[in-house]
Amino acid sequence: MATVLERAPSLGGLSRVARRSYRLVADVPAIPLLIVAALTFVAIFAPVLAPHGKLTPVKPTPEQCQAKFGTPSCPYVDNLPPFWFKGGSIDTPLGTDFLGRDVLSRLMYGARISLVVALTGTLFAGAIGTLLGVLAGYMGKWWDQIIMRVTDAWLTLPSLVFAILLSSVRGPGVWNVVLILALVFWSRYSRAVRGEVLALRERDFVKLAEINGIPTRTIIFRHLMPNVMNSVMVLFSLQVGVAVIIEASLSFLGVGVPPPEPSWGLMMAQERESLMDGKWWLAVFPGIGITMLVLSANMLGDWLRVRLDPQLRNR
Amino acid sequence: MRRYILVRALYSVVTLWLLVTIIFGLVRLTGDPVEMKAEAGADAAYVARLKHDWGLDQSLPRQYLSFLGNLLQGDFGHSFEKSLPVRDIYFERLPNSLKLGFAAFVISIVLGVPLGMLSALKVNSWWDSVGKGIALFGLSMPGFFVGLVLIIVFGIQLGWLPVLGKGRSAFVGSDPSTWVLFWFKDWSHLIMPAFALGWYFSGAMLRITRSGMLDVLGSDYIKLVRLKGVPERMVVAKHAFKNSMIPVLTFAGLNLLIIVNFAVVIEVIFNWPGVGQLLYDGLSNRDFPMVQGVVLMSGLMIVVLNFAIDVLYGYVDPRIRLSR
Amino acid sequence: MIRGLLAPVTALVLSVLACGDAVAQKGPGAPILSGPLAKLDIKPAQVDTAKGTSKGTLTVAMHFALDPGWLDPLEHSYAITQQMYDYLVHDTMIKPMPYGYVTYGLAEHVELAADFRRAAFRLRPGLKFHDGHALTTADVKWTYENYKGAYAKLFHDKLEHIQIVDDRTIVFHFKEPFIDFMDIYNGGVSGIGWIVPRHYYEKAGRDGFKAKPIGAGPYRLVSQQAGVQMTFEAVDDYWRRTPATKTIVVKGIRDPATRMAGLQTGELDLAFGMTGKVLPRLMADPNLRYDPNFTGPWWLMFPGYNEPGSPFRDKRVRQAVSLAINRPFLVKQETQGIGKPWGNWISSENRDALQGAEAPVPEYNVEKAKQLMAQAGVPDGFEVDYLPFPPYFDMGERIITDLRAIGIRGKLQSLEGPAFRGKINQGRKGVPGNRTIVQNIDPRAGGSKNNIAVYAVCDSPSSFVCEPQIEALWKKHQASLDLAERERLIKSIQKIMLDEHYFVPIYWNPFVHGIGPRVLPEGKAVSKYWDTLNAPYPWPWEVWEVKADR
Repeated sequence: MATVLERAPSLGGLSRVARRSYRLVADVPAIPLLIVAALTFVAIFAPVLAPHGKLTPVKPTPEQCQAKFGTPSCPYVDNLPPFWFKGGSIDTPLGTDFLGRDVLSRLMYGARISLVVALTGTLFAGAIGTLLGVLAGYMGKWWDQIIMRVTDAWLTLPSLVFAILLSSVRGPGVWNVVLILALVFWSRYSRAVRGEVLALRERDFVKLAEINGIPTRTIIFRHLMPNVMNSVMVLFSLQVGVAVIIEASLSFLGVGVPPPEPSWGLMMAQERESLMDGKWWLAVFPGIGITMLVLSANMLGDWLRVRLDPQLRNR
Repeated sequence: MRRYILVRALYSVVTLWLLVTIIFGLVRLTGDPVEMKAEAGADAAYVARLKHDWGLDQSLPRQYLSFLGNLLQGDFGHSFEKSLPVRDIYFERLPNSLKLGFAAFVISIVLGVPLGMLSALKVNSWWDSVGKGIALFGLSMPGFFVGLVLIIVFGIQLGWLPVLGKGRSAFVGSDPSTWVLFWFKDWSHLIMPAFALGWYFSGAMLRITRSGMLDVLGSDYIKLVRLKGVPERMVVAKHAFKNSMIPVLTFAGLNLLIIVNFAVVIEVIFNWPGVGQLLYDGLSNRDFPMVQGVVLMSGLMIVVLNFAIDVLYGYVDPRIRLSR
Repeated sequence: MIRGLLAPVTALVLSVLACGDAVAQKGPGAPILSGPLAKLDIKPAQVDTAKGTSKGTLTVAMHFALDPGWLDPLEHSYAITQQMYDYLVHDTMIKPMPYGYVTYGLAEHVELAADFRRAAFRLRPGLKFHDGHALTTADVKWTYENYKGAYAKLFHDKLEHIQIVDDRTIVFHFKEPFIDFMDIYNGGVSGIGWIVPRHYYEKAGRDGFKAKPIGAGPYRLVSQQAGVQMTFEAVDDYWRRTPATKTIVVKGIRDPATRMAGLQTGELDLAFGMTGKVLPRLMADPNLRYDPNFTGPWWLMFPGYNEPGSPFRDKRVRQAVSLAINRPFLVKQETQGIGKPWGNWISSENRDALQGAEAPVPEYNVEKAKQLMAQAGVPDGFEVDYLPFPPYFDMGERIITDLRAIGIRGKLQSLEGPAFRGKINQGRKGVPGNRTIVQNIDPRAGGSKNNIAVYAVCDSPSSFVCEPQIEALWKKHQASLDLAERERLIKSIQKIMLDEHYFVPIYWNPFVHGIGPRVLPEGKAVSKYWDTLNAPYPWPWEVWEVKADR
């Protein structure tokens, strides 16, 4: 009996994942990975990399003050264009915003917020959703019914509701957005995972484990979870993109990250009116940032899905 | 089969009831609408009257029961902010959302499906990469960014298109001869918001079409048809296309509902008078009946659609209905 | 652009006269009340009987979603916004007009007894509602009795009975001297003066009335999409004059950038709330015009300042806050220089408001502010929450930046409009903690005392200020029937508030309105539409003129 179990393909599920991961990495698309890596690097080291603070206006030179206000000194100079335009300065390479703050620095800090929020939020959502999906798929009967009905109902709730709710209960804040993402998106995972588990449940290695009296908890965590990780990872990478856009949209509507924190979505929202006034760089750069991040995440996710395709096909 | 349908129907009802209860609770956690409506300096009598008018002076269980009771009679209550019955306001706006959603939907299909099919037919070629690239690009730009750029370029700089949305309260109760006209009138106001909205979903449609086609093209059935010597053009047009449409349509149906119900940001930017704005206004003003009504209606639409899809699948694929 | 000092409604002269053509102020007609009367300064309505034709369409964009409830005066809110619709669809006995803060409307003759216990009105002859029914004193009485809106309790408590003398003459009898009656009955303050047709309201019911209201005003509602748009058409035989514009369309557009876009493409003729970042664009566009439209001053409040443990307990800290704000630069950045740094939290369009030398603009002196902070024992500053008035978050950020220079590190709590109002309307209960700065603005009408009654006295639910000195003065004010003494007391209260820095005034806010090219008259003369005092919106509407439709 021991030998049969040894040969059972799912045992050591974790090392299986590790081996598989190695094979995967060998084939990764370079550019999206580089972009994501670069953004992550910037996000982590923003305090060191950023030329100026994220909240304090840049100290202006007398020439700048003279040019804008006609006096040699002023608290700050707002709406400086990027350095390649007339009037711009290499000290603030991407210009300054309405409060005289350096756009590049705020973009860097903003990367932090966008990445942290999207990753953490999706992670939480994934964790909750996967667990619930596995429970629903494996335990069946009442577990299944209740979890699935709640999932169905929950899927139709708009994220805006949670945004306003959290904002009024806890006051506006960055972590609200993480909570919102977790609260709204877990339902996407539980559906997919449940489907996977329903199929997995019939497989030999699971049946063998059951016969051998291995406790349910072990089956769930050691056998089932690692095997659904494939689809979860794919879903995760695709949801990160969605999360970034949701955070941007919520901040745009005023119920996401509150000012003066520099979230990319918030920067776009705040400078929308400047966009109409010809100061396009204030809203376009964060927009490009969002697009690049989401694009890269999506491409990585796509590549992951293709890579893991044979496993998915088994259903 | 009948048992299957009954079971699915039961699930739908339970789901709806759960939704109703959840939103009832959630919305009451967002704050006290009376405090927010009464201005500074309002006297206690004024505040008490508001509270009474809105039914908020009753206990929570009573509020819940009367809410459910009214729901079953089709009464969603009176909007706190807009003072009229929620049902009237909602159905006045719904056609506008449908119009926008449908137009965005059409754009997403027109852009996404042919490109997706092309990608699938020429899989892994240069065409495929372009297709995938376009899809990803569409899915990566937030809708409001696209909307912004459109407004500035086409609305203000070029002056070709109007920037303010224009819906009409056609449909409900008015002259049936306007029902068809409604979809086509004021189309210039529709183009930009529909495009901004549809852009995002065209990426998704492209993907789904592509993977659906790929699945079908690789299937045994198609191999057989090819073996029979049917020309490639016919293979695609007659056999592959139809079969690949099933997942596409399913996805598309759900997409349509999402577009109709959750296009809040686009509606705000273009001032399109749809139900998304109702939700946004309602939430901002803690307008409980409005939020409950809008969420419930959108939930109802989605649940009914899911039910229809389930029944359709059950009918088409016996394995599904027998396995549960 | 200060519109000059407001002519006070008070100057005590007893008039005992009998006949017609005397003081044109009082309007035509025989006296109604016996006994000594209070002097009222009500300007005559400018009636223009020439029958013109209305032409053109005016499209207006409001800065939030429209509420059909605004069409019902019986449930009039405290918010001043509703008056925009009052001026369109309804009419009132006396109301603010460009000709005077109190001008005759439906009434042609008003008397107030010197002991303030009786008020008499005579309606003009031949008044009609939109459906042709005559407007009589029965409607005035019915409106008063069924009124449920702002100040309803006050009106009902004070009333003893209403006496209908005839179809056009009515007398209100009060249980006790109701000195503020004329102030609050004025259409600019509450809704009770806007007359509702009893026959129609009873037939249509609350919902029916809000869906299809009928009033006595210059425009009638022809269609509405709840929350989105309302379309009004001119009533040709309105008693005052034929409205100049045939159709007025009001849209609710929350987003300033969208309103701006609408102005630029010509889809909008008038847009409210063009402040902040859209303002430079508006000013730069040669096709568009704007009116500064000063509403009220901004000021900062310190919830919980008088509790131990609050850093704002020390007057020097509050003064430091005032000294640290660079008002001229703020005004230049936030309002393109249109705003005016101001020394009071009450707008000078209000009666008895301190201004000029009596309430000088606080200076900008960061060094002195730092010294004061050090003297008060907090040289390194402290952290606070900052609650800005939505949607002026940019302005909040600017002020926080200024305060950071003296060590006060503010964290912006950006709530949305209703949430913010919900908090501060509850006063101390709504804003817990004593390390908060609240930025507020409130251009309410009815004289300075109204503002003080809400924000500066202990028993107002929305007040953060409770000082025994002010309470004593306020009690005296409420008890007094002497108008000169009342004025003195109100001014003293303001002086204390400002000297002790309980409130820190910032600048007088221009709530800029954008005007499109189709609005007549051309050029700067268009600003005449904003001449009504205490009005954040350019009413009345019957004078607005636009170019004829293309």
